Amino acid sequence: MDHQPFENWLLDNQPLTTDQKRQLNTHLRTCSSCAALAEVNLALKSVRVAAPAAGFADRFQVRLVAKKQALRRRNFWGFVVLTLSVLGLFGWVSWPVLKDLIQSPVNLLASWISSLVSFWASLQAIFRAGMVLFKVVPGFVPAYIWAVILFAAGGWSLVWVVSLMKFTKYPQGV
Amino acid sequence: MTDETTWIIQAQQGDDEAFTNLVETYQKPVYNLCYRMLGEPEAAEDAAQETFLKVYQNLARYDRERSFATWLLSIAAHHCIDKLRRRRFNSFSIDEDEEGQTDLPDRSAPDPESETAKRQERERLHNCLQSLDPTDRAAVIMRYWQDCSEVEIAQTLKLTVPAVKSRLHRARRALADLWEEKPAHVRTERKPYGSPAF
Repeated sequence: MDHQPFENWLLDNQPLTTDQKRQLNTHLRTCSSCAALAEVNLALKSVRVAAPAAGFADRFQVRLVAKKQALRRRNFWGFVVLTLSVLGLFGWVSWPVLKDLIQSPVNLLASWISSLVSFWASLQAIFRAGMVLFKVVPGFVPAYIWAVILFAAGGWSLVWVVSLMKFTKYPQGV
Repeated sequence: MTDETTWIIQAQQGDDEAFTNLVETYQKPVYNLCYRMLGEPEAAEDAAQETFLKVYQNLARYDRERSFATWLLSIAAHHCIDKLRRRRFNSFSIDEDEEGQTDLPDRSAPDPESETAKRQERERLHNCLQSLDPTDRAAVIMRYWQDCSEVEIAQTLKLTVPAVKSRLHRARRALADLWEEKPAHVRTERKPYGSPAF
């Protein structure tokens, strides 16, 4: 059986003319498929909203309190596990140093002081070498090279500033 | 500023009493959506409660430019769709469906027989509804039980408006086919433990 245009009329919920209504009624008497669609339409239009049992908000409050307690417990145990893990990892990594410190603290302190002194001496040597280069190199480099270097550095800085401004701008009117 | 907006702002600042006001205002539409989606009062109660908990936890992320009802129903609908997907092979017990519900015949109604017939029709529709695809079911519930527009349904279910229209057409056609298959007087036998294997 041809269900068109009756099925579309029923599905589109458009207002029908008197003639269309008459045609539809005639079709519905002979077509069980379209009659079922019309019945479903009617049933859907007379639906009733189901309500929860009384005290829904009170039961929600109880559940919310339980959830908050569970969350607090989880956070507490999470913190404990994290702290113990960090302490354990720190102990494991620093155990060789700690062992030396416990067994011979004087030797360990002497080796630390020696390392600090050598580090300071290296820094001083690098600084002196840098000062010498700073005094000597300008004499070898022509003035126009300096101009090019300064110009390139200025351009590079400008690109950075513009990029930062572009990417950090807060979008407006979205 | 409406009461709802005030409660939302207060709840976002940590006022539980304001949030309870929101729960009281929206408990019925949320519960109804969950009940029609899941088919069982207990599951619906649990889903509705979970929905409000999710809303409570994510309230800071709520954009006040959007409709609160749409946002809330969107959370409820997606929660139910997820639940249905997880328990795809479970079937619903028709006898249990109406337990504890308010859809009982109205004794004060002038015609108790007609009330009973109406109730049976509602049960029949409710049973047919359970056979639909979860997203189609959500669209039908929002359209007919919540009176949502197609635009609101599209926003809630994250679909386009033409997709909502197409889903509503398809769902109603499927409901009509089921309606034809399941006459009003035929009641499906309760399946123990909800499994076809029993």
